[in-house]
Amino acid sequence: MTDLSPMDDAPAEGSIGRPIAWMAAAGLATVFTAGAIVGVIAASKEDGGALSTTAIAIIAAFVAIIGGLIYAQWRLARRIAASGGEMTRRERLNRNIMIACGVMGGLIGLVLAITSDTLTADPLTVFSEAPLPLALAILLALFWGAVMPVIAWFWHTRAIDEQEAHAYRDGGYYAAYAYLIAAPTWWFLWRGGILPEPNGIAIFIGFSLIWSSVWYWKKYR
Amino acid sequence: MENRLRVLRAERQWSQAELGERLDVSRQAVNAIETGKYDPSLPLAFKIARLFGMKIEEIFDDGFDGEQND
Repeated sequence: MTDLSPMDDAPAEGSIGRPIAWMAAAGLATVFTAGAIVGVIAASKEDGGALSTTAIAIIAAFVAIIGGLIYAQWRLARRIAASGGEMTRRERLNRNIMIACGVMGGLIGLVLAITSDTLTADPLTVFSEAPLPLALAILLALFWGAVMPVIAWFWHTRAIDEQEAHAYRDGGYYAAYAYLIAAPTWWFLWRGGILPEPNGIAIFIGFSLIWSSVWYWKKYR
Repeated sequence: MENRLRVLRAERQWSQAELGERLDVSRQAVNAIETGKYDPSLPLAFKIARLFGMKIEEIFDDGFDGEQND
């Protein structure tokens, strides 16, 4: 084997897992902070309508936090872009699909928030079983059941490479085993009167989180 | 599995992105192969070997150097 030491002194290219994780965390924090602003406004409305000075100060602080988070994300994005040279064709396509999915997910969230009866910052509303208008329910089902499979197929066949496919497959194994173990366990404990009734959306979110976490770890470690 | 990919790439002064473009994979895939965190499939290993004009075993080393026992 050729001596690797001269190359090992160079900064590692492509090791962008950590900045991407920080970026995702900052993105999530931005969403939750925006939710907190909505919560403050909702609370003020319940108390009588006009925003108090305290409420305005709290909102201003949250806006400043969001500004800081967006700046941090911009810095991280620049750091990611600077590592390992330009993105390859597959990476660009992959990134564009991810951005499109994020925008569509945001739009679904926005539509669900707008159509809900009350303005709320409670993140647990995602588990809501409240009825939806029929047209909206059909639209969302069509998107998730017909459009998403096409995007997923395109993503798997055109955008990702074999290393990412491998990471994704491993994520699927872990998530499938977690589902096979956790869902019946919850069901048994519910029937024994220890836990509340199993919640499909909670199981779906847990399944997705495990899958995504393993995919991320395997792809960027 | 150990490999010489990083050295071969450096000899040609290619970035991970350039090598990734030639192999039609991402920079992460190149990085994962170089650091031994991911072993490429046989088709990708052949592609890498063809790109550098070498045999697969001249680039990848599975650590086996003993005699074959049946």
